[in-house]
Amino acid sequence: MENQWFQAALWMGLALVATLLSVRIAISIALLEIMVGVIGGNYLPLERTEWVNFLAGVGSILLTFLAGAEVDPVVLKNKFKESMTIGVLSFLAPFLCVMAYAYYVAGWSLPESQIAGIALSTTSVAVIYSVMIESGYNQTELGKIIIAATFITDLGTVLALGILFANYNWHMLGFILVMGVVLFFLPKFTPWFFRKVGSRISEPETKFIFLVLFGLGALAVMAKSEAVLPAYLVGMVLAPFFLVNKTLSHRMRVTAFTMLTPFYFLKAGSLVKLSAVWSSALLIGVFLLIKVVAKFIGIWPTMEIFRFTKKENMYTTLLMSTGLTFGSISALFGLTNGIINQEQYTILLTAVILSAVVPTIIAQKWFQPEMKK
Amino acid sequence: MFKKILIANDGSEGAKKALKTAIDLADKYNAELHSISVEEGVPHYAATIGEVEEYRREANGFFHTINDEAAEEAKKAGITLHVKVQAGHEVETIVNYAKEGNFDLLVIGFMGHSKIFGRVWGSTSQNITKLSPCTVIVVK
Repeated sequence: MENQWFQAALWMGLALVATLLSVRIAISIALLEIMVGVIGGNYLPLERTEWVNFLAGVGSILLTFLAGAEVDPVVLKNKFKESMTIGVLSFLAPFLCVMAYAYYVAGWSLPESQIAGIALSTTSVAVIYSVMIESGYNQTELGKIIIAATFITDLGTVLALGILFANYNWHMLGFILVMGVVLFFLPKFTPWFFRKVGSRISEPETKFIFLVLFGLGALAVMAKSEAVLPAYLVGMVLAPFFLVNKTLSHRMRVTAFTMLTPFYFLKAGSLVKLSAVWSSALLIGVFLLIKVVAKFIGIWPTMEIFRFTKKENMYTTLLMSTGLTFGSISALFGLTNGIINQEQYTILLTAVILSAVVPTIIAQKWFQPEMKK
Repeated sequence: MFKKILIANDGSEGAKKALKTAIDLADKYNAELHSISVEEGVPHYAATIGEVEEYRREANGFFHTINDEAAEEAKKAGITLHVKVQAGHEVETIVNYAKEGNFDLLVIGFMGHSKIFGRVWGSTSQNITKLSPCTVIVVK
């Protein structure tokens, strides 16, 4: 029988190492947990037990919820036309191009290619946000459009993940109906309920959110859909409430970053086969290149129509080529559900991680446009 | 001689000494006094906006306190201190802010790295001095 406390100590030790590194070198905790997870999975006796899988699963659901709760409806509304067009094309172009390459050239099956397309269609709003905070770009019109477009791209990714592999039967109908009702009433019910129960050490608010996420997640799984789909949508409808209630958002982040997301990111890293990284380096590079080129195909003409300068186009396109959270969630979904194998997972996750780093550095180094408030 | 003075304030002992010198010079030349504090550790490649926001929340709390103290010290000398907190790389942000604000004097505390790091890359103060668009005083 496994020594669960040994495993718990090992997982938490790795999470602590990643945290300390993150504080020291100012790289996100998520990326470092994946990296440390790669080392743990390849060189340490790290086991992915049932309870680890459970915590990692809750981590991914909560991460998606938090990402949805960051969608600023005001920004989205003010720049709807531009952000919707850029966001949709930023999802569709890489999704179709990567899927086509994986299917026709790399010889992957259709479901495997679909996972590849979804994992590399994403854009990381958080990666973009941290770049923009440093340049002050988050305050500019272009910055706001890029962030709003990213929310749309993420929504495309989550919808594709929830729809493409689902069973279309009575379970799906029930799931859609219940989710529709919950999403309709949640923005009104939640503030009322939170006022009633008040803020307490027993965290009734957090428990309520978990109940909704787990309940809808259960229905999603029954319909062979994915629990991150309702999590993102619940986050989106509650975003106006969470953006105002900073303390509640802070408490939920503490819960997530302490005990849940470390298991998710460490697990995502631990499943990477280092041998596959070397043997598939070319394919990883090609996938990354296709993702960036496809983002150009989708976004560049649109930006031209909206009369942005060439430098602004370049900067936007490169930033929209970044990916991390939803890319890793999609790849892990494929592996967990037996759609892709561990080698394909390694290829996709490595390409996703590279897409967080490479386009960001190029955009910051050579294409940062002048500020226009 | 100096009309617009900028002090880089990271809350360190060196910065406190620099602030004293800057206040003295602002008083002597009847100059405007500004300070810039740089949030240097914004996590790159974050998974959620929340991670970045949590870092900024902590950093802002820290800089809010040191800027209040600095403004209070300047006020005692009858000078208004205009404060600014900005995220970014320390050297790049300070140099750009000095350029954009047309400052004619930048006052910094001596900010040393470890000996090995300093020899290879140059210390923060060395790099700021090298790249600054205006006169720099490094206070030790």
